[in-house]
Amino acid sequence: MERAKLVEQVKKVVAEILCVDTEEIREESRFVEDMGAQSIQSLELVAAFEAEFDIEMEEDAALKVKTVGTAVDFIQKHVEGKD
Amino acid sequence: MKILIYEDGKWPLMSPLSLIKPVFELRCGFNSLFEKIVASLPEGEKGLWVRSYLQKLAGKKYNLPVNDESFLKSDLLLVNGRWLKTDGKPILSGTERVVKSGTDILYAFIKKETAGKFWNGDFEEFLQAISGNVESEERKAALLEYPWDIVRNNAAALTEDFMRTGKSGILGNFSAKAEIAGAAESVFISKKARVHPFVVIDASKGPVYVEEEAEIFPFSRIEGPCYIGRASQIMPGANIREGNSFGPVCRIGGEVETSVFHSYANKYHDGFTGHSYIGEFVNLGALTANSDLQNNYANVTVYPGGKPLATGCLKVGAFIGDHTKTSIGVLLNTGTIAGMMCNITAGGISPKYFPSFIWYLNSRFMKGYGLESMLDTAKTVMARRKREWLPEEEFAIRHVYEETAPERISLIKRNRKR
Repeated sequence: MERAKLVEQVKKVVAEILCVDTEEIREESRFVEDMGAQSIQSLELVAAFEAEFDIEMEEDAALKVKTVGTAVDFIQKHVEGKD
Repeated sequence: MKILIYEDGKWPLMSPLSLIKPVFELRCGFNSLFEKIVASLPEGEKGLWVRSYLQKLAGKKYNLPVNDESFLKSDLLLVNGRWLKTDGKPILSGTERVVKSGTDILYAFIKKETAGKFWNGDFEEFLQAISGNVESEERKAALLEYPWDIVRNNAAALTEDFMRTGKSGILGNFSAKAEIAGAAESVFISKKARVHPFVVIDASKGPVYVEEEAEIFPFSRIEGPCYIGRASQIMPGANIREGNSFGPVCRIGGEVETSVFHSYANKYHDGFTGHSYIGEFVNLGALTANSDLQNNYANVTVYPGGKPLATGCLKVGAFIGDHTKTSIGVLLNTGTIAGMMCNITAGGISPKYFPSFIWYLNSRFMKGYGLESMLDTAKTVMARRKREWLPEEEFAIRHVYEETAPERISLIKRNRKR
């Protein structure tokens, strides 16, 4: 999947779960410090990414992802692995 | 003669309560099924037979030989660990025979020659072989199958256990401003227990037994039959209705009716728990409540493994596996079964079945933070209560985690497609 398209999809999911504007989300945006994600929301994000991209994310690894950009990288690997 | 207290092939029916403990460790009345059975045994070397992944854990906890085949080379008394033996009468040895309750073995005396003849290395097959080939007799007895069988029998077991102790009276610190209603001889307050002012102990419908170091805080009402275990605390204003057993080191608040709290369980705040069995190190968040009666007054159906099972009982509450936690305001449906190490957060009336290790968040099933994080939390919780974390227990938990993964993952995936 083209990275730019993936970034947009990830931003859409993040915006929905964390209730922030898509325009405010950058690749370097940090989930906790910049967007105020609480611990429970990180679980929701993982679940939402899995549903959106039809992938399985290993819990411990997924929860180490701290920014939107690294989430995109993480998801891209899984999506490509699936193809 | 040697004596084996064993688990038979029906242990899964006691899930999730039995996932990391042998069935005979479950409590009913004052203590565990194991303690009741042992009180009735004749002289002889004792051992246990449990499923293989609990072998090391049971050996550590009970300090007895476990799954030791040498027992099957002796004259042997076999006792089913699901037996709720409340009468305290001794099991008398005698001629070789199998004593059955329904189709299941209750206990059996087997000569070593017979044991040798039928032992092929598989314990369940051994039980079936002696059941089919050794002279048998029937006996009516409480051989528990399901978690709600424990709850159903708890009030009667409490009364029988109280009578068997032969104790009554107030030895501990009982405030002059606390009251006993009903027969004073139906109350026993242990020497190091404490009952604060403005507590009412109502023994008019059954006995109340308060163990050492237990404490009942002001404005609580305790209705018998009831057992309050060692170092357990009844929080201020609690409404403890009939038929409750609180194992050691529980903290209990709010309204509780006809329920068993195994041990080290927390229900600190308000909220109703009725006709339920609450596992070890479970924490029920403030205002967590369970329904134990359907609005149509029909017998309750439960969904172990997601499949319907009629209980035949009108009142059935929640059965919650060890280390599971609920958030504030969780509303558990009638006959809920929640596995071990679940995290359940509020989101309307909950589903009736939660697979072990699952997270329920915003009305959706999720994977949560993973097993390692859950183990870390369990270790922290146990250390706070000065309970040792046993590697054998961790082994059992990891085993159950793997065994239960398919149903958990399947449910999470199905949930995503809603």
